[in-house]
Amino acid sequence: MPHREDFQKQIQQDWANREYIEVITGSIKRIADFLNSFDLSCRSRLAMLNERLTSLERKIEYLEAWISKGEALA
Amino acid sequence: MSVEKVSLPDALSNVDVLDELPLPDHQPCIEAQPCSIVYQANFDTNFEDRNGFVTGIAKYIEEATVHAGLNDLLEEGNEHAVMLYTWRCCSRAIPQPKSNEQPNRVEIYEKTVEVLAPEVNKLLNFMRFQRTAIERFCMEVKRLCHAEKRKDFVSEAYLLTLGKFINMFAILDELKNMKSSVKNDYSTYRRAAQFLKVMSDSQALQESQNLSMFLATQNKIRDNLKENLEKIPNYEDLLADVVNICVTMFDSKMYLTPSEKHMLVKVIGFALYLIDTQNCNIYKLDQKKKIRLEKIDRIFKNLEVVPLFGDMQIAPFNYVKRSKQFDQSKWPLCSATGTLSSQADLNKYLPQIRDDHIKYISELARYSNEVTTTFKEAPRTDTENEEISELALRGLQLLSEWTSVVSELYSWKLLHPTDQHQNKDCPVDAEEYERATRYNYTDEEKFALIEVIAMIKGLQVLMARMETVFTEAIRRNIYAKMQTFVQNTLREPLRKAVKNKKDLIRSILVSVRETCADWIRGYKPEDDPAMKGKKDPDTGFDIKVPKRNVGPSSTQLYMVRTMLESLIADKSCAKRTLRKDIDGQYLIAIDQFHKNSFYWNFLLNFSESLQQCCDLSQLWYREFYLEMTMGKRIQFPIEMSMPWILTDHILKTKEPSMMEYVLYPLDLYNDSAHYALTVFRKQFLYDEVEAEVNLCFDQFVYKLSEQIFMYYKQLAASILLDKRFKEECQAQETYFAYPRANRYETLMKQRHVQLLGRSIDLNKLITQRINVDLLRSLELAITKFQGGDLTGIVELDGILSVNRLTHKLLKKCLNGLDDFEWMLREANHNILAPYGRITLHVFCELNYDFLPNYCYNAATSRFVRSLGLSFADPTHREKPPQMAHHYLWGSKQLNLAYTNIFSQYTGFIGSPHLRALVRLLGYQGIAVVMQEVLKVIKSLITGGIYQFTKTLMDAMPKTCKMPLYDYGSPGILGFYQENLNDIVQYPDAKMDLFQHFREVGNALLFCLLVEQSLSQEEVCDLLHAAPFQNIFPRPYCKEGEKPEAKQKRLEAKYAALHIIENIEKYGTEKQRNLARDGDLLTKERLCCGLSIFEVILNRIREFLSDSIWTGPPPTNRVMNVEECSEFHRLWSALQFVYCIPVGENEFTVEQLYGEGLNWAGCAIIVLLGQQRRFEALDFCYHILRVQRADGKDEHVKGIHLKRMVDRIRRFQVLNSQIFAVLNKYLKASYTDGDMPVEHVRCFQPPIHKSVAEASVPTGTMTLDRNHSQYHRPDIRNMVQAPIHTPQY
Repeated sequence: MPHREDFQKQIQQDWANREYIEVITGSIKRIADFLNSFDLSCRSRLAMLNERLTSLERKIEYLEAWISKGEALA
Repeated sequence: MSVEKVSLPDALSNVDVLDELPLPDHQPCIEAQPCSIVYQANFDTNFEDRNGFVTGIAKYIEEATVHAGLNDLLEEGNEHAVMLYTWRCCSRAIPQPKSNEQPNRVEIYEKTVEVLAPEVNKLLNFMRFQRTAIERFCMEVKRLCHAEKRKDFVSEAYLLTLGKFINMFAILDELKNMKSSVKNDYSTYRRAAQFLKVMSDSQALQESQNLSMFLATQNKIRDNLKENLEKIPNYEDLLADVVNICVTMFDSKMYLTPSEKHMLVKVIGFALYLIDTQNCNIYKLDQKKKIRLEKIDRIFKNLEVVPLFGDMQIAPFNYVKRSKQFDQSKWPLCSATGTLSSQADLNKYLPQIRDDHIKYISELARYSNEVTTTFKEAPRTDTENEEISELALRGLQLLSEWTSVVSELYSWKLLHPTDQHQNKDCPVDAEEYERATRYNYTDEEKFALIEVIAMIKGLQVLMARMETVFTEAIRRNIYAKMQTFVQNTLREPLRKAVKNKKDLIRSILVSVRETCADWIRGYKPEDDPAMKGKKDPDTGFDIKVPKRNVGPSSTQLYMVRTMLESLIADKSCAKRTLRKDIDGQYLIAIDQFHKNSFYWNFLLNFSESLQQCCDLSQLWYREFYLEMTMGKRIQFPIEMSMPWILTDHILKTKEPSMMEYVLYPLDLYNDSAHYALTVFRKQFLYDEVEAEVNLCFDQFVYKLSEQIFMYYKQLAASILLDKRFKEECQAQETYFAYPRANRYETLMKQRHVQLLGRSIDLNKLITQRINVDLLRSLELAITKFQGGDLTGIVELDGILSVNRLTHKLLKKCLNGLDDFEWMLREANHNILAPYGRITLHVFCELNYDFLPNYCYNAATSRFVRSLGLSFADPTHREKPPQMAHHYLWGSKQLNLAYTNIFSQYTGFIGSPHLRALVRLLGYQGIAVVMQEVLKVIKSLITGGIYQFTKTLMDAMPKTCKMPLYDYGSPGILGFYQENLNDIVQYPDAKMDLFQHFREVGNALLFCLLVEQSLSQEEVCDLLHAAPFQNIFPRPYCKEGEKPEAKQKRLEAKYAALHIIENIEKYGTEKQRNLARDGDLLTKERLCCGLSIFEVILNRIREFLSDSIWTGPPPTNRVMNVEECSEFHRLWSALQFVYCIPVGENEFTVEQLYGEGLNWAGCAIIVLLGQQRRFEALDFCYHILRVQRADGKDEHVKGIHLKRMVDRIRRFQVLNSQIFAVLNKYLKASYTDGDMPVEHVRCFQPPIHKSVAEASVPTGTMTLDRNHSQYHRPDIRNMVQAPIHTPQY
């Protein structure tokens, strides 16, 4: 039955195709995971940076006030 | 732009490389799965690809078509359910015309129709849908109930889909009943539409009428359905099948998500209700063993309440109860009152859940550690894949179980609200929703809920991290299992079927193989003897199964499972069962495969399943309860909202073991928001969640930072609390425990918390608030100090130390906290202004309170407030504001303790105060205060004292001889008393003048003591600095040891501490210079010996330039002996006055003015250089000397001589001490070698008259010339002899 064998081939092909799709999907998933970790890591590092900048800003503000003894504010 | 081509292997290796990038994130993970991107692939085709499997049995392909259609209807039904559930009343917001005459009523009606028409359309669609759905359902039932068909087997999937339909009808019916706002809105629309005659054609009118009836009739859908079903003969048998499969699935846990589990129970209940009619009785079916009521009874008892939709619940047993032929005796468990359903008791489940959690995460950790730490060359074996796949399934099942426990408890609680009798905290007028949520949980239940939620969310994170590992193992395992089963296991039954010519079985088995077999190299093995029913050759017939990383498609799996099911189906009424033609062992294998493969769909959609198993979004939704308030509430306050109730419970109880879970209840908002966006798809719901989150998160950060601050303040205060005080308190059974250790550190480390897609830096927010709290704390401490007298400075110093320690402890976790010293300056207003609040207040207190009111006593080295009279105006101080405990010492108890400790310092001013003052003021502040004090001294000396001196000098006798010893002490006392009467009687002497002197004296003493305290502080500093400057204490040496060698060894040992040397070695030029300068400055302080007090005294000397202090030069050009023109004479007079003993109930000068008086007098005398004359010529001293000799004791004009002499003696000693101290300071800067030049004038001894007369004739030389020659060399620099204090 050649007819039946054609279907057989198609199912065979379907397995291969779907495996290919799974590989791609899995890779996209891993990219998404990576992006998420990257996001968290960046946020963490940016938060540190932000903290240091804020702290420096506050220090500058403080020093300016101290040096000017309020002249700038008056 | 050219497109670069990348080959697949390259692309895949690029993805692999991503894993190698280090992505550090140092925060502990205490929140639910944080993800900015969610990637979920969905391969569910809803049987679209069914035609690809023509090799399968045609019947099941047809069935797949039916399934696809039914699934579409189910989905549509769900949309209608969402529409109804999220319906918010519109008509309440629409203005109603008040009367028929209202001019704009047409306009109102037009607008009403315009606004409501789209909504009403939805209702029409809903009505039509339920009609079609019922028709379709009945059609399916009818088809399956056909007498011929009944003998055939109905697949599990089919029955389940019918069950889903029943569930859908139940939900839609309840929703329709509950939503009165839908009916109201529709009638509003109808009124307007009828008025405007929008519906012109009869069909529309009819439809509108139908809709009106449909909405108005309760239970319409349910009744319609029942009515239609009853027309179908034997429908009850099919429904009994549905009930049975649901019971079986429920009992054997063939479900994954909680909603599937609950659906099964709902279906059982509703199906029983549908079966029970006039003609059919469920109790008869039970007798016929078509259904098993006893099993169902148990299910209904264990799950009394199941979530229906959102916050709507249903008790499935009520369906049975409401049926016409309800027989209580058949439902022993459900009918029994008094026993609580197990779903109401979370604590019962908790130990098991904890146990499972621990076990599971340990097992998981094994794999996750392996994945993260090792790189495996070889792919996992089949066994490993199977293990991991099973692990994944077990994880999902655990998560689902826990989520069910939570949602079942929540449902039960909603259906069993509390009241004021059951819960004392519940007010009588509490709202319905409050009684169902806020007051309905005990503390233990809340903790248990939090813990379970934390376990769910925590495990979800862990499993999601492992997702790629899981999914690969799952796909490989399923593939291997399936192919092995199809290609190998099925060979034997196939062989048998061929051999025995069982064509049906053979064709089914062949279909199964052809539907899903994936042969190695793409070809079915030729000449498989099994296909011909023959035995394998002796060497065996080897079939190699390929390996792939892919699972079957959803349709493929359905086909295989259904076809296999048809082989093993065991239907009592059906005659055509195939079981008997298959050997028992193969039946078992097929059955096992069928059972296992049930979960494959869930596993293949791992990501989605995981999410659904952990979904707790419904804890927030409350549309049902909002509907019940009939518009009184637009939304409930956060106190009644479950996520916040749980979050707040942790914050309120401050339970350390729960503190790290605090972010998990907040994650419920993420779930709800996600649900609003993806399932309900309603913007307003999302907005409401968001608004609540905004509010809650503010509250959360506020409360959290406050308690963190409080905790660390208490910790610092407990550390610094005096140990002996603690012990003494313990003896009296008052205990000071350290605050219970809490895990705020983990929370403070959170730099990215995900909430509604936002990333929040919790650390930053807490830092901001604690910065403010610390500053406020310092400000309040200073304000408190400002509200009291100078004695408060010790307490101020204490509070500042506690705050400093608090800051130090917090700084470890909150790096962004401002520098403490800078904060203190800010609180002290010392950044813009040169002098801080502390300095100003110290000065104010000195000026207005300390100088005029305190008495010094050298014996104690303390100042105390003078008794009785106050010579200065009372000082007004602003009362400090009420402040929360944590702004002071941390807690009420600590505040009390510290207030007690510091109350010891309120009665005096002594060295603790001055030490504190020196520390707080610093060099700059001390300089300012001293300068101001000098000004006070100047104004006193050149003002009041000057005036009095002037006046009193006039009152002094011009001369006052020193009476001879012969007069005896009483005589001499009388003599002085007579001479000094004007002074003694002078009215203001005791009051104002002494007061002025006291102020000057106190000022002087203050300067002296401040310097002493400063020196002590400096010595401490220097000692601390010493090891860094290579200065060591002399080491102890035993006999025979060389001190030098020991010293050398010490130096070598601490070489690393030596700053200069190290910086010289490693530092830059600039650093080297700085280090050298710093070192020099430190050393200078030590050896320079500069004295503040000396400078002060010299400054005061400058104020005494007026001649009033010295009088005219002595007439004898040597010194005044009897004349009373110099200050010391006046002081002698005053001393005479205050040496007169006082009567009873009178205050002595010591009591009134303290020793400041004497200090002032003595200081002026010393500075004027009149000390010797004073000591030699003082009136009182003279009396003392004579009295010592004659020892007389009398009353002279009311003065008791002995007592007076005693007083004189005491003051003499005091004066000598004062002189000694002053002279020490004034001469301190001279070393032996360079004493100041003192010009000593030598005078000839006076020549007695007789001698003068006798010598006149003999010599003509003038005395001067003679003696000047002789004595000239005597006028030279002379070394000043040490000053001896007079000793008597």
